[in-house]
Amino acid sequence: MSFLERVDLAIRRSGVWRSLFRNPYPTDERSRAYAVMNNVFLHLHPVRVRQHAVKFAYTFCLGGLSFFLFLVLTVTGVYLMFFYIPSTTSAYSDILNIQASVAFGLLTRNVHRWGAHLMVFFVFLHMMRVFYHGAYKPPREFNWVIGVLLLLMTIALSFTGYLLPWDQISFWAITIGLNMASYTPVINTPIQNLIFGGLEVGQNTLLRFYVLHIMVLPLVAAILLAVHFWRIRKDGGISGPL
Amino acid sequence: MTDTKQDQEKRVVLPVDPTRRTEIDKQRVPMSARPYRLLAMVKQDAVVRVQKEPDDTVMTWPHLLSIEFLAATVMSVFLLLMGLFINAPLEDLANGNLTPPVAKAPWYLLGLQEMLAYFHPVVSGVMVPFLYILFAGFVLPYIDRDPERKRPSERKTAVVLFSLLCILGLFVTFVGVFFRGPGYSLVTPYLPFFDNFTNGLHFSL
Repeated sequence: MSFLERVDLAIRRSGVWRSLFRNPYPTDERSRAYAVMNNVFLHLHPVRVRQHAVKFAYTFCLGGLSFFLFLVLTVTGVYLMFFYIPSTTSAYSDILNIQASVAFGLLTRNVHRWGAHLMVFFVFLHMMRVFYHGAYKPPREFNWVIGVLLLLMTIALSFTGYLLPWDQISFWAITIGLNMASYTPVINTPIQNLIFGGLEVGQNTLLRFYVLHIMVLPLVAAILLAVHFWRIRKDGGISGPL
Repeated sequence: MTDTKQDQEKRVVLPVDPTRRTEIDKQRVPMSARPYRLLAMVKQDAVVRVQKEPDDTVMTWPHLLSIEFLAATVMSVFLLLMGLFINAPLEDLANGNLTPPVAKAPWYLLGLQEMLAYFHPVVSGVMVPFLYILFAGFVLPYIDRDPERKRPSERKTAVVLFSLLCILGLFVTFVGVFFRGPGYSLVTPYLPFFDNFTNGLHFSL
């Protein structure tokens, strides 16, 4: 037994290691079942899944990748929050500062931006995949409704994030959105005041969109995601093949 | 189905051949040796399921987890390369007094903006998205219900309607992204033999 093997064994036998991992590395069916059941991150999955569900060409991993992008956006977004103040006087210079002098700032902002566009795109594709497989049919009707709400959450998250750089692109894109809201019958001004914080895009809009973007919408989306995943299991797993 | 059931009931149960005794047979004790009363007889096939249903499931670890891990890795590498080589757009500081030549909504709302060019804003800005969400989101799964008919060929109406809506949405988004220039006029990018050609895309992600 070499030195490295002995160190490896000593680590695996130590009390700290065994407090972290209840079971040794799973090698047979029984221990693999335990690993999925006992791990907080893996227990979203059932221990066994139907064979067609693991075929890449059935799901194209679209829902899973949408969730993965949500996680990536959470991590990169939290990092960007450390260097950003939602004020019309400093937001733009904060973005310039992130790009120029924050460690990995430019890369983080780029990944956050492209990941956000990809997430909207993947959620759309996921919805189309589910429709063409007829997976919205009973008993999965309500999960389809949750999914549509999640699509709206994704679009709202992307739209609120669009304003935060406070440059010409974002300002005028949100202005178009504000103008569209002004054509809502009867409740146009209340909607503008509630969501945009006024009749034109300004400091109120920036603060509202910031709070929605970093706190309200991610929380609502996370709760809806939990219900969405829970319902997949409770509605009998992923829908059967055609 | 009924025939086999009757056959099973008529079948005579023979004593187990000593050479083929299984674990369960070895554990059997003569009825008289038991210090408790017999309350009920349970048919053996109800307790020990001999015929197992054909199983179409696989273990989550490793079959599903490996695919998920691979997909997440490929996505991470793709995002990292995108982030390294393509910078997110950033223009000048926002200025409410300076309308840019091209003002466009984000691409997922550009279809709605494109429809503003055709219809009254109440139709394209309010009614169309409201009806889309209401119908596709909340009504569709409660009217197209038959769970047996899942193949696209068995539900032509739903598939054709949904595909038409998707194609219409894609079309207006496509026109809005590529064929709208300064002042939201129709342009043809990169093709100099058209009168309304422009030398670039008026679009940023």
